[in-house]
Amino acid sequence: MHTLPQQLANGLFLGSMYGLIAIGYTMVYGIVQLINFAHGEIYMTGAFGALAVYTNLPSGMSIWLALPLMLLGGVLVSVLIAVGAERLAYRPLRNAPRLAPLITAIGLSLALQQAVFNWYPDAKSGKPFPQLPGGPFHLGSIDIQSGDIFLLAAAIVCMVALAAFVRTSRTGRAMQATAQDPDTAQLMGVDTNRIIIIAFAIGGLFAAVAGLASGLKYGQIQYNMGFQAGLKAFTAAVLGGIGNIYGAMLGGLVLGIAEACASAYIANIPGMQQLGGGGWANVWAFVLLIVVLLVRPQGLLGERVADRA
Amino acid sequence: MTDLPIAAAEEAATRTDTGRRTAPFVPMPPAAARAATLAGAVITVASTFMSWTYTTDFPGDLTVSGYPGGLQVLTLISALLTGVIALGAFQVRGLSWLNPSRSNNSVLLLALATLGTTWYTVIDITAKLGGLANLDPGAFVAFVGALVLFTGALALPIDRHPEEAPDAEHYELGWAERFPVAVRSYVWLREARLHHSELRVSDARKLNPWLQRLAIVVVYALGLKILTYGLATDYSDIFIGYLIVVAVGFWGLGAGGLLQQFQQLTRRNKRFSATVGVIAAVAYPFAQNNEHWANLGVSVLIVGTVALGLNIVVGLTGLLDLGYVAFLGVGAYTAALISGSQFSIWSGVQFPFWAAALTGMAAACVFGVLIGAPTLRLRGDYLAIVTLGFGEIFRIVVRNLDGVSGPKITNGPNGIAQIPDLSVFGYNLGANHSVGSFTLGRFANYYLLMLVITVIVVLVFTRASDSRIGRSWIAIREDETAATAMGINGFRVKLVAFALGASLAGLAGTVFAHVTNSVVPDPYVFSGPVPPNSAFLLAAVVLGGMGTVSGPILGAALLYVIPEKLDFLSKYELFAFGIALILIMRFRPEGIIPNRRRQLEFHEDEAQAPGNRPMGDDTVPAATAGA
Repeated sequence: MHTLPQQLANGLFLGSMYGLIAIGYTMVYGIVQLINFAHGEIYMTGAFGALAVYTNLPSGMSIWLALPLMLLGGVLVSVLIAVGAERLAYRPLRNAPRLAPLITAIGLSLALQQAVFNWYPDAKSGKPFPQLPGGPFHLGSIDIQSGDIFLLAAAIVCMVALAAFVRTSRTGRAMQATAQDPDTAQLMGVDTNRIIIIAFAIGGLFAAVAGLASGLKYGQIQYNMGFQAGLKAFTAAVLGGIGNIYGAMLGGLVLGIAEACASAYIANIPGMQQLGGGGWANVWAFVLLIVVLLVRPQGLLGERVADRA
Repeated sequence: MTDLPIAAAEEAATRTDTGRRTAPFVPMPPAAARAATLAGAVITVASTFMSWTYTTDFPGDLTVSGYPGGLQVLTLISALLTGVIALGAFQVRGLSWLNPSRSNNSVLLLALATLGTTWYTVIDITAKLGGLANLDPGAFVAFVGALVLFTGALALPIDRHPEEAPDAEHYELGWAERFPVAVRSYVWLREARLHHSELRVSDARKLNPWLQRLAIVVVYALGLKILTYGLATDYSDIFIGYLIVVAVGFWGLGAGGLLQQFQQLTRRNKRFSATVGVIAAVAYPFAQNNEHWANLGVSVLIVGTVALGLNIVVGLTGLLDLGYVAFLGVGAYTAALISGSQFSIWSGVQFPFWAAALTGMAAACVFGVLIGAPTLRLRGDYLAIVTLGFGEIFRIVVRNLDGVSGPKITNGPNGIAQIPDLSVFGYNLGANHSVGSFTLGRFANYYLLMLVITVIVVLVFTRASDSRIGRSWIAIREDETAATAMGINGFRVKLVAFALGASLAGLAGTVFAHVTNSVVPDPYVFSGPVPPNSAFLLAAVVLGGMGTVSGPILGAALLYVIPEKLDFLSKYELFAFGIALILIMRFRPEGIIPNRRRQLEFHEDEAQAPGNRPMGDDTVPAATAGA
């Protein structure tokens, strides 16, 4: 089990999930320079939205038929919450001092988490999530679960689609323009409010995909799963260079692989026997974030840390 | 960020403003309105001496004719206050000092408080006991009396916002603008907003200095009385009534200008009022001579002190620290390790309190520098997420250092138990001590110790914020680029603020460890069911008022006591914190107790606008397009 290819594969799957969530952070940050702390919670609500659809489907239904409907439900919930948050909570504060939207984001994150905790039926502890049949598949010495295959495929499809959208479509180019300079973009006829909403919506969509995938991967979802996932995804976004959508994916992969390898191999380093294992994986991810901020604060693919005061 | 010079903004804000109108909500001849108000007050007062219900099942005995009980007391006080303030507003000779702003808004708000608590009581009786049949005639009298009072107050000339221009456009409504009903109700709401914050108030500083001091003492004594009354309520029904009266009542007194005058007095007699405030705080364990309330007091002081430390970081320097509770945890764990507890790995080591406090501070300070140094060079947003991460990592690390998943230092989830009580100069804080006719129990001792620490933190806060470094913090908060251009070393100044905040949390943590007898990892989370968590502290600072001394302490006290008293609320406490943070940031970003400079900063747009709007109870106008 603890072979290097297996760890790399684990890291790849974990990393694609981080990358999917990180897209939401990085797109919103690139355009409005706001860390949307509530994004982890949007990912969580996406997973719960998908589960809510599943529980309301007729019981004999095949999982392959249910999957698209679950995805649709999750995406609907996440996108609605993301866009609603932008419209009702963030937009009125766009010209307020910096601290104000950050505090709003924290409040939103708390409120969403507690809303699910209090009002989603039996969400006080983990909720079991349906599983994809089949697997584990063997590829050489690597074991792969079917949930992981879905995750990887979804991440690749999403990334390719997003890259094509941003590069070729008219809206995508308007997005790039807004990220570079919102005022000038507005003068050139770009409806910046619409672009911001689209950025939030795409972030919500990807977060919902990640939420569904994480449910399939781990077989369980929790009301507080968004907190750590959001933290990790933000780390991934910083690692890759915040504001850069390719960087977010790359950062996710690097972080996932680093985490998988850290929990497997740190214990082999003399003197650190007790600091390996799953319990310390989060700690190493955090250490990685600090090191990146010290050594290369603009991230792997970032060019500059713009300070638009 | 374009910044308006403070002086100009202040001038713009205090300019006499023509954009106000004085009009009643309900058309009625002025004399009739006054008569109705006074009659309503008299009827309501009279009703509290009657019986409101047949059975004693309802909390607080409301069955007795002849003297008020339970919620009736609150109705009585509120109605009396309304009547007296109304007499002041009507310029009755000798009473007009009660309403210095001469505005009827205070009468309206106090009438609202009376109406709220009376109707709440009547409806609560009906709902709890099942039907109108449980009401005695007294309750009907009270119901009608409060209604008459409120209607009369509505018919008084009320200071309100000017009418909206007929061709005004309301972009902030978005798609709802298409519906005339929505627009009409929105306009009605905008026009209904009260507008009293700029009314002139006669200067209380012209009073005889001894009278000024007397006034301060009386107000503090009343404050202590109100506080202890609230804490001593033993039913959540009564506490809700109390909250209605206190919250709306203070709003009303603010509209009348009394609070403004009190503020003038405390500003003039700063040292005196601070001394009286401390004496009032020392008097608390004697006034509430009961271990339960002393425990509540010490908890409030701890969270208040930690919130005040956080206020240096968030309020003065404008750095968002989301893992602040971890520094409290560092202090608490350090103190536990050197406390001599048999569960500590150094169980033989027992530092005296002063040494333990310094060690806890130093440990927290080291962590603050370790976390701050890499992140404070970058934009503020990074600090927020790194501290959030640190808070989470602290808990994970402490859980893992149990000897199984990591080196054995903290005993993992079991924590360090049996921390011995402190002994300061031979005074054992764990034992009971008799002072005169009072007995000070364990929590009362810790309360007094914590009070000393709170005073120290308050001194550090005020001294620092009035000094060169405090001005640099504020400069950094308002515009980092400009501050750096003026020669401030942004990184160093921010690091000092961050490390100072961390050390103060560490100091509070050392006492916290001894008060709770044990330290465990679970309370040190970002958001959790037990108060000292980072979300709670942030909510306390934001609710109370960023950058002020009394704000965070008041905020922490409110956030701690209200869920404590209303146990049915505690399930939704964190949800309410979240919603409260969003709403405060949207509608009153300066908090309950506004910092003058901060208020100007948040309401910059309005101060610049030609028909400037008030600074007080107003909303931030919806920002127009553009990032």
